Amino acid sequence: MEFKSDSVMDDSRHGYFMKQALLMGEKALQSGETPVGCVLVYNDQIVGVGMNDTNRSMNGTRHAEFIAIGEMLQSYSRSALQYTDLYVTVEPCVMCASALKQYRIRSVYFGCANDRFGGTGGVLSLHSDSSIDPPYPVYGGLFKTEAIMLLRRFYIQENEKAPNPRPKKNRELNTRFENGNEEAPQTW
Amino acid sequence: MDVERTIRGLKPLDGQVVPIRTVQETRPQEEFGDAFVAEVNVKSASKVIKAIDAAFPKDPSLPLSHLRRFAKKELLPPPLKAAIESQRVPLTAPTQTIFVLISPPLPDLTTLKALLAPFAPHTAPAATNDPPTTNETPDEASQSDIPTPTIQLYPIKIPLCPPFNTTQAETWTKTLWPVIFNPAAPRSTVAPPLQTLKRVQESIEPRAGYHLSLARKVAEEAEQSGLGRGVGAVIVDPAIDEELTAAGYEAGHDTTSQWDEAVLAVAGDARYSRSEALAPSQAQLHAGVAPNPASKIYDADVEGGPELHALMRAVDLIARWRREHDRFDDVSSSTTTTHPSKPEIEAPELSAFESYFLYRHRPTSTDISNSPRSPSSTLKRKHEVPNPESDLSIHPSTDPSQSHVYQPPLPAPPPSTVVFADSAAPTTTPAAPRIRTRSQGGYLCTDLDVYLSHEPCLCCSMGLLLSRFRSVIFPRRGRLASGGLSSEPVGPVADELDQAAEADTSTVDKEGERGYYGLHWRKELNWRALGFEFVEDGDVEIMGEAAMPVFHA
Repeated sequence: MEFKSDSVMDDSRHGYFMKQALLMGEKALQSGETPVGCVLVYNDQIVGVGMNDTNRSMNGTRHAEFIAIGEMLQSYSRSALQYTDLYVTVEPCVMCASALKQYRIRSVYFGCANDRFGGTGGVLSLHSDSSIDPPYPVYGGLFKTEAIMLLRRFYIQENEKAPNPRPKKNRELNTRFENGNEEAPQTW
Repeated sequence: MDVERTIRGLKPLDGQVVPIRTVQETRPQEEFGDAFVAEVNVKSASKVIKAIDAAFPKDPSLPLSHLRRFAKKELLPPPLKAAIESQRVPLTAPTQTIFVLISPPLPDLTTLKALLAPFAPHTAPAATNDPPTTNETPDEASQSDIPTPTIQLYPIKIPLCPPFNTTQAETWTKTLWPVIFNPAAPRSTVAPPLQTLKRVQESIEPRAGYHLSLARKVAEEAEQSGLGRGVGAVIVDPAIDEELTAAGYEAGHDTTSQWDEAVLAVAGDARYSRSEALAPSQAQLHAGVAPNPASKIYDADVEGGPELHALMRAVDLIARWRREHDRFDDVSSSTTTTHPSKPEIEAPELSAFESYFLYRHRPTSTDISNSPRSPSSTLKRKHEVPNPESDLSIHPSTDPSQSHVYQPPLPAPPPSTVVFADSAAPTTTPAAPRIRTRSQGGYLCTDLDVYLSHEPCLCCSMGLLLSRFRSVIFPRRGRLASGGLSSEPVGPVADELDQAAEADTSTVDKEGERGYYGLHWRKELNWRALGFEFVEDGDVEIMGEAAMPVFHA
């Protein structure tokens, strides 16, 4: 499911949409939300954008994907999702992976994997499991380092809203990746 | 009020609460890995362990404490013993030896041999000048004229997970390598601690029948309104539930009939209520027709979405109540009072049951509405949560083992005040709300229980984990093939763990029909909840799940 060939990576179309998703992630970070952003693309048009909204809404299920779908459905009927692709900075969690299947998304492009909650390969593979809804293809790894850096910048902060915030004063932002590249967080 | 009369008239479901086993319990994984055995001098045993542990790092995610590190020759599994005897070089003197296990992650074998060489028993060839005969090519051997004790490595297979029961432990000990059976070990990695499970089960048992009966009532309301399928959710604060029990105990009368005091919110399915692209909703298209004709089949295009499912709506009602009531003076709350950055699709209007439960208040007369917010009660809550992260916040002075006998510090009610006077349900008295605001420490659905009329879909199952529910309960009759919680088919599957291992492949093979995800408690996921099914009296052993219309609840 990784972007093995450069063809998809270099495809400016995919890159453009993922950058828009990263922009939403950046916006989430500025609002104190877990920095995950996404866009829904229908007929080459962005028809819905979303960022994590759990803190503001005080509802732990308000993930970026639901926000974007909610926006899209104001102008499109549900059936349009069958011809819609999702670009999301982090692999959809188990909840969203199931929701996307119920909504019959056409395909999903994500940045970095989610080995704690991922529902499209990270922990479970709901996108391909057999169910009453058809499977959907998933492509991961597009602007992976940028997505990870967003998360690192978030998790280095202390969570004042947690019942027992953990002190993180001495932590430094890790900018290294396994392949040895040091990359500064990109701002788009 | 009509709703109240309906509530008072609800008959509880009769039956019993049964924990849903985890997928690792129903399908114990038998994973095996490669390892080596080496014969060493028994006198160097402790040095051998030290040397191995110092030289080769362990994999913390692969605890192998169920494997014995040494075995005497007579305790080796017969097949291994035979294999060793056929290869091994005879000892010169009757040296006492022991066999040490080298477990994965496996080190480089040359390094390993060199490391263990000093501890090798003196072998006949090594004592003389004869070249070592095994495990080295004649070329290599002839190069070293100096007698060096050699280590022979015997490859074996070992079980990577702890045994589930004594039978399994004995089998492995006889065939692979001696293992230790620790009844607590398998559970600690693949299932919630028995103590926690039992405590929560006891806490929900007295009123589960009522809460589930209410969930069905809410489901019926949703179906009759034409706004959704017949699915209902009820969110309960077990702390209030337990206060009720305690209050009843002190006052010396049964408080079961006040079961609804602990209900924080209810919600019905509303999948047909949404208007998409400004077109009429399914409910509007079929106004006045109930159940909604769309519910006769599963057509994804008219199923709304999971955020309109009962559980998701109930979760959002709790959040909505907090957004409306929280006057937390930080930045985030100032944004909660304003509209979100972009217009959101309108949430369905609340039904009679939904608004009744969300906006009523607790009676003041009992004065217990304040006590659950006391620190001691908060501590108590923490113990109920099977989450390691929450456990970190346990006050060190509190002994978890005592929490189940802990009584909340209820102020003794004055004799004139009847606790929870029966029919005079004092809902008219405005008082402290049931739902804790964020400033009172209310956070998502932490420590709450959710009762559902049906098994929730995968999306909602994960949604309840992300909402940090303590537990989830649904009637077995509400199982759905699309559900995310069941871990095994209903049937004469033995409940004993001992038989779980033997339930083997035949159970697994039958599962083609549906996925059994057991999502409530997966060791792979960060958040976990306790899951229970309610088996109603008279439920036949084998129930046809296929008889239900297939949809996502």
